[in-house]
Amino acid sequence: MAGSLPEVFLTFLRFGVLSFGGGMANLPEMSRVLLANGWLTRREFADGFALGQFVPGPNMLAVLFYGLSAAGVGGAFAAMLGMFLPGAVGAIALVWGWEWMQKAHWSRALRRALVPVGIGLSASTVLVLAQVSLGSLVWFVVAGVATFLIYRGVNVLAVIAGGAALGLLVGVL
Amino acid sequence: MKVPLGKLFLAFLEVGLVAFGGGGNAQIYSAIVLRRGWMNDREFLETTALCRILPGPVFANLAAHMGARLGGVMGGILALLGVLTPGATLMIVLSLAYFHLGVLPGSWAQNALEGVAAAAVGLILATSLRQVPAALDSLKAVLLALLVFVMYGLLHWSLLLVLLLAVPLGLTLYWKESRGG
Repeated sequence: MAGSLPEVFLTFLRFGVLSFGGGMANLPEMSRVLLANGWLTRREFADGFALGQFVPGPNMLAVLFYGLSAAGVGGAFAAMLGMFLPGAVGAIALVWGWEWMQKAHWSRALRRALVPVGIGLSASTVLVLAQVSLGSLVWFVVAGVATFLIYRGVNVLAVIAGGAALGLLVGVL
Repeated sequence: MKVPLGKLFLAFLEVGLVAFGGGGNAQIYSAIVLRRGWMNDREFLETTALCRILPGPVFANLAAHMGARLGGVMGGILALLGVLTPGATLMIVLSLAYFHLGVLPGSWAQNALEGVAAAAVGLILATSLRQVPAALDSLKAVLLALLVFVMYGLLHWSLLLVLLLAVPLGLTLYWKESRGG
């Protein structure tokens, strides 16, 4: 089911406004809403996220894939604009407000509070990603090994490329 | 410090070209602070901390904020465009290829993507695990993180509702110790 451009923009603007806690904290919400709208299948959601690992920049650029699936190339840009606009406006406004923000009591408390909240959101993201991406036991093992390697400081791109190679191998076997 | 807009855009474009695998903040640091000296260490750390309370990826926020400090509103917009353009272009090409060439179940591209997706789960998990020791340093931090995980990850409540409950609770828990200099 295709979405209209304003619909796609507003959907991703909402994700953009709510994406607190860094990284891909809004991914569980995104999968819920996008699948319910019928803009993507589960497999496509997982594949879009996987493709996002190949490009430089924030892996949130996967929203281009989701927007493209919802409403074509225009939808891709509408999704990107919606996702990045709220943070960018805030970040630019901060140039004039940062001294005040740094001293403000609420801002310091917020910074501290967002750390554990962010961990809870990230844990949820990992769970949802595992549910949509790991189709069989093999892939659970691969994800486990990748976690270990990246945690130990092995180059991220090398691990991602290793995952692609393993996927090809499993396909051949 | 003010930087000409053309130079500013090119500097952030360069970051956008090389910021692979979630290493974006380090790339900005290296390009803007270390190599060009447009900002000092202290300013960079303070800026990064503040950008964490904004919505969206810290990396993109950091670029927009630093660009705006160095070149006004236009500088902020150009810096953001600089870090996003290379990745966005490549993402569009990959996505078009995916949908137009048709990645069929069982095809080699689908198999490779399954492997990448598994490795990506590892990337997100490893990134979170690295933050755990510093982030969950007290009982209240552990409980707050657990509460968010139950509401959002297990019960699938909407993100807005989860934030509306967890953020005020967190502010209350951390209010006292955040007082003073």
